[in-house]
Amino acid sequence: MAMKILSALITGLAQGSMIALIALGYTMVYGILKLINFAHSEVFMMGAYAGLFLIGALGGESSPLFAGVVGTLGAMCLAGALGVVVERIAYAPLRSRGKNRANTRITPLVTALGMSVLLQNMAQLLFTAQYRGYPKLLPIQHTRKVIFITAITVMIGLQYLVHRTWTGKAMRALSTNVEAARLMGIRTGRIISLTFLTGSTLAAVGAVLYCLDQSQAYPTMGVVIGTRAFVAAVIGGIGNIPGAMLGGVLIGVIGELTKLTPYSGLQDVLIFTALIGVLLVRPTGLLGKAGIEKV
Amino acid sequence: MSAYREDDAAQKTTSSVPVLDLRGVTKTFGGLRAVSDVTFSVPERSIFGLIGPNGAGKTTLFNLITGVYKADSGSIRFRTTDLGPLKPAQIARVGVARTFQNIRLFGQLTVLENVLIACEHKRKAHLLSALLRTELFYRDEEEMKNRALELLAIFDLDKMADEVSTSLSYGNQRRLEIARAMMLDPKLLLLDEPAAGMNYGEAEGLKTQIRWLRDRFELTVVLVEHNMQVVMGVCEDLHVLDHGETIAHGPPELVRKHPKVLAAYLGEDADEALDAEAEAAAHAGQGAEEGDSAAPETTELT
Amino acid sequence: MPRTLRRAIVTLALIGLMIALEFGFERVVTDAAWRQLALAAMVNIIVALSLNVINGMAGQFSIGHAGFVGVGAYTGAVVASNIHIWLFIHHRTESAPLFQNSFLVMPIVLLSAGAMAGIFGFVVGLPSLRLKGDYLAIVTLGFAEIFRLVIATAQTGGDAGGGISGALATLGGQNGYGGPDVRTILTTVTDPEVTARLNTYENGGVPQYAGPFWIFGAVVVVALIAWRLKFSGWGRALRALREDEIASAAVGVDPTRYKVTSFVIAAVGAGVAGGLLASMRDGNPTIQPDQFTFNTSFDAITMVILGGSGSVTGAIFGGVFVTFTVKMIEQLQGLESVQALKVQFPSLDLNALRMVVYAAVLITLMILRPEGLFGERELFKKARTKKSPSSNDTPDKPVATPVPEPAKPEAT
Repeated sequence: MAMKILSALITGLAQGSMIALIALGYTMVYGILKLINFAHSEVFMMGAYAGLFLIGALGGESSPLFAGVVGTLGAMCLAGALGVVVERIAYAPLRSRGKNRANTRITPLVTALGMSVLLQNMAQLLFTAQYRGYPKLLPIQHTRKVIFITAITVMIGLQYLVHRTWTGKAMRALSTNVEAARLMGIRTGRIISLTFLTGSTLAAVGAVLYCLDQSQAYPTMGVVIGTRAFVAAVIGGIGNIPGAMLGGVLIGVIGELTKLTPYSGLQDVLIFTALIGVLLVRPTGLLGKAGIEKV
Repeated sequence: MSAYREDDAAQKTTSSVPVLDLRGVTKTFGGLRAVSDVTFSVPERSIFGLIGPNGAGKTTLFNLITGVYKADSGSIRFRTTDLGPLKPAQIARVGVARTFQNIRLFGQLTVLENVLIACEHKRKAHLLSALLRTELFYRDEEEMKNRALELLAIFDLDKMADEVSTSLSYGNQRRLEIARAMMLDPKLLLLDEPAAGMNYGEAEGLKTQIRWLRDRFELTVVLVEHNMQVVMGVCEDLHVLDHGETIAHGPPELVRKHPKVLAAYLGEDADEALDAEAEAAAHAGQGAEEGDSAAPETTELT
Repeated sequence: MPRTLRRAIVTLALIGLMIALEFGFERVVTDAAWRQLALAAMVNIIVALSLNVINGMAGQFSIGHAGFVGVGAYTGAVVASNIHIWLFIHHRTESAPLFQNSFLVMPIVLLSAGAMAGIFGFVVGLPSLRLKGDYLAIVTLGFAEIFRLVIATAQTGGDAGGGISGALATLGGQNGYGGPDVRTILTTVTDPEVTARLNTYENGGVPQYAGPFWIFGAVVVVALIAWRLKFSGWGRALRALREDEIASAAVGVDPTRYKVTSFVIAAVGAGVAGGLLASMRDGNPTIQPDQFTFNTSFDAITMVILGGSGSVTGAIFGGVFVTFTVKMIEQLQGLESVQALKVQFPSLDLNALRMVVYAAVLITLMILRPEGLFGERELFKKARTKKSPSSNDTPDKPVATPVPEPAKPEAT
């Protein structure tokens, strides 16, 4: 039993770091635009398909290293581009409009939700609803290690980007006050696009890793994983990057531990119960700070 | 701190319980002490000024009194009610009304509707009655509307009752915000920079208006204000904050000579500010005339 | 009292219309598919009207409305079929539902369905609406998915065990719920007469008590409630709240209370719609978890947004429009030419295509006309001629001054 728990913890850690990669996209966009980017989960799904096709085209199982690395990079590019396109088409026009129109709060949410539904059903039309097997690039015991190492590396890189570079400083400035950042000469549109780009590429990395682990891709995969990732972001404290990582790992471990019990089907139920519990006790999330509304 | 408070309170109030009583109120945001150990009390029916340079913590104090923020320590009492555990809406219901520094009207609602919102909680006919459209509902609605229109008439806004509130002029919007606050039947009115954006004549008008409000509605008024002309002209008691701390307290004529106030608040512009104030007093009569009216007080509101 | 008289006449006329529909509907609309469509549209109107209370009037964003419809549907189905079997045993009614019995069954069904959904609404709404921001969206989404998954993944079959999992198992899991299992009831019955009676029971799924009388009646009542809610102090306070929560609180309107109550009202409405859906005549006699997926919630959002958030007539329009297009797609799917096309293009899924089109329309609408087709306006709303304020109470006061002043401003 102890061995089982240990192995569940390890798997959970790997799963969780993968979920964290997706959660980062939610948390970064929310931090800057205060928008739940529902379409992020579909960017993740599209990233998985891009990876699937690219890896297949590059040789797949016959040359795992080359196909894996180049395919993942390609998927990152495509997903990044998709994220930016979504932002430009759907969200940017809403921002440029005055604030005093009806339903200013609901409008961006409906748009984000619409984008999510659009992409998901588009995938259904393009790729059919069937489950597609992913090429097995690695033996399963190595996959977990690769997931874990990649996730850690990416997160360290992201921390560097956000805290050590000019772009990161601009992102943080935007998250505090978009208007003030604009007045300081930051090209806000570009920084927002960059944020979407970063989040989407991370989602693509997560997608390829996820598929290597679960070895299949399907159009509704975004809903399941995306929701988990969003919950991870909220639990960790939305807008907070280390929080997203913590939340992701927690969700992963909770998920794997439930699989040991007879109630494995209730994994998502448990995750949502955890979400409601966190909202009740500590609404700002585990690492989030309470924001002060200026009156 | 000064000893004037108790004397003043004894002179001006009939009851010994102050309307508003703050004891050791402290609030920090992150590492910043926005309000630090502030203690004062406001006697019944007085006009009380809360002044200090930008960032002194005046508006924060208003937000603490009205429950928008919760104090870290200290107590805030309205008469005998401890406001600490109450939510903003409850505080409004016990009789503490406020206006905002940057006018916060309900932009897409009409002038009348803006005022009606403030008596929604007094409605006798509740949700079920509204759904059944009982006689009580109609009577209630009629009563509320009449009351609101009477109040609007006092503030000379009844002619534009059906206009959307954003279409009003700036001055009318400020007045509407006060009218909306008055619909709560408050005993304590907190005005946050009512003279912001007003010219000399308008500020003179405001002074008489504040006094008139106090007498007409038997109110206690606390105002945060930068305009020295208004503050010195209308307040009976002043409390001066700087960086969240109390630096002086007392009647205007004493506060303005207080060395700490001169140093910290007025700085090198002390003379200028005092000059402006003196000028204000000299032109008081003229200012009122500029307000294009010397009509008598309007009729009763019961 | 003219108002009372007018109300009595309108009520009688409506009841007359309801009865006429109950008995005349089958003759007027002979095709069962069309009847089903019309009734489904009416149920969807209730779904849209209830969602409109929280998404339109209160300006919050719930995206799990299907979950509350589902709670109502399952509650309604369980209540209706159990009462039906009780009637069958003790009052020797037929296996088929009778109209006169619906006056016993339907009120209980609607009350229990609404109450159950309302309780869930309170549990979901309180923690998320207390907070600023969009937590409601994600919590409602989560709730709807949890509800669906819990029912769909319940262990069915022989030994489900007791307690909660046993109770869930009776709901039929993925296959859906079509009334209680008569064999299970038989094992608990000792009275031979009852056993004999039960053996003659033909299980036709959830008894379909909700005919046009009940469904049309419910639409009228719900629409009236929505309308009156909007044009009352409550609706006014919600509009104020939508604009500025802090200013609302400063004049005594408690944001949490108003939002949570609105959310519970919306959930109750959804529950009622679910209760009707479960026992809808000409409808599906089994309730399945797949009826309450995210797509159902999205359809409900489309109904509300399309017509205009906050507009009662808009929600009615949206409900009808979306129902008809969904049905049209289903009809098209069955066409031979479409089937032939599908052989050529296996990925062609008209429903997915519909969702793509809806989503695109919604996004475009948000960019170009975020208030929806009607905005918050109502069709057929007569502009009330406002009495001039001084007509009834003309106090002969002097024209008020812009600045109310005492006669002599004292100089300081």
